[in-house]
Amino acid sequence: MTVMRDTVVKSLAKITIQGNEDGLIPEYDVLENLLPAALLNSFSERIMAAAPQEKKTMVADGLVRAAYECGYHTGCGIITSDVFNDVVLPMVTEGEKDILRGAFAAFTAWGWAKSGIVQLKAGEKMVIRANDYYEADSGGDGLRAYMLRGLCQAFFDLTYADPYPDGMDTYVCQQTKGIEAGDPHGEFIVTRKHASV
Amino acid sequence: MSLKLDFSLDNETFRRYLNGHAVVMHSHHYLALITKLAEDLSDIGGPQLLKDVVEESMWAVLHDYAEKNDVTSPLQRCTVGREYYSVYGLGKLKVGGTENGGEVCLVRSHIDEGWIKKWGRHSKPINHFTCGYIAAMFAVAFNKPVKSYTVTETESMAVTGTEGTFIVTLS
Repeated sequence: MTVMRDTVVKSLAKITIQGNEDGLIPEYDVLENLLPAALLNSFSERIMAAAPQEKKTMVADGLVRAAYECGYHTGCGIITSDVFNDVVLPMVTEGEKDILRGAFAAFTAWGWAKSGIVQLKAGEKMVIRANDYYEADSGGDGLRAYMLRGLCQAFFDLTYADPYPDGMDTYVCQQTKGIEAGDPHGEFIVTRKHASV
Repeated sequence: MSLKLDFSLDNETFRRYLNGHAVVMHSHHYLALITKLAEDLSDIGGPQLLKDVVEESMWAVLHDYAEKNDVTSPLQRCTVGREYYSVYGLGKLKVGGTENGGEVCLVRSHIDEGWIKKWGRHSKPINHFTCGYIAAMFAVAFNKPVKSYTVTETESMAVTGTEGTFIVTLS
């Protein structure tokens, strides 16, 4: 049995989180937060708009980096969590590929993006298609799913790079299509750094 | 807690909602790096931009809740803001003040504690996010528009490792 995406998504989507008596959400070995998507989109849009032309790449890279480090550390907590062990691991028969499939099911279930793997060459390349994601609602110009770029890279690093925490920045993700730019879906391609897409 | 929490899930897109507003989960790494990005862009007003975005976004959420739930008194509206802050996982606030301003004590803090976990203590206050949040909370509590209050972080948990203090004044 390989990972049954719909089963994983439905199981994980039932989980609701909120702050404890201290107003904190300690989960997956990090402190989580639950924020309005409109707030996050507004920050990305306005900080990009405020940046002068010569700084726009640096700002976009900073937004991707925030998502990447979030995804790398939180992602490790997710794939080693009890809930992941209970829901996903019993279906794993293809090792790393199935872990990655399960991770992207979690990706969908927690509302980051309705997305899935459409092409996977183990340790070399992954193509993700996203049919819905909150950054698709953001204002601005061009492809701007910074969060998704960072998370896709993080999950591939966790799966195929050196074991956590030594595998950071082994791969890189480029966005090639975006709903926010008029495409029917978002597309994200992860490759080894310095390799061509 | 007096806040009514209606969590819902769109079964088609799997987007999540809290009281009708789309919400998404991230970790302290994300907000720490967003805060640092704003700091690094101080020359173009990054910290103020972050405060403004949070104030405007949270004003809309808090005002919407107060209107839909017939929450009218300043005290009740402050409680809504304080409790929402905790539900979001941002920490724990103690709020005191009047229409003319006040003081807010930050007892626990996702942003400051997250910053310290990631990089250790800092040399200056960094919680621009909570400045914006408190400005929104006071504006909604006293039925005023955004930008009615100025909030200054006078003591920082990221610096001292203990509690934070925010002073609120009418703009």
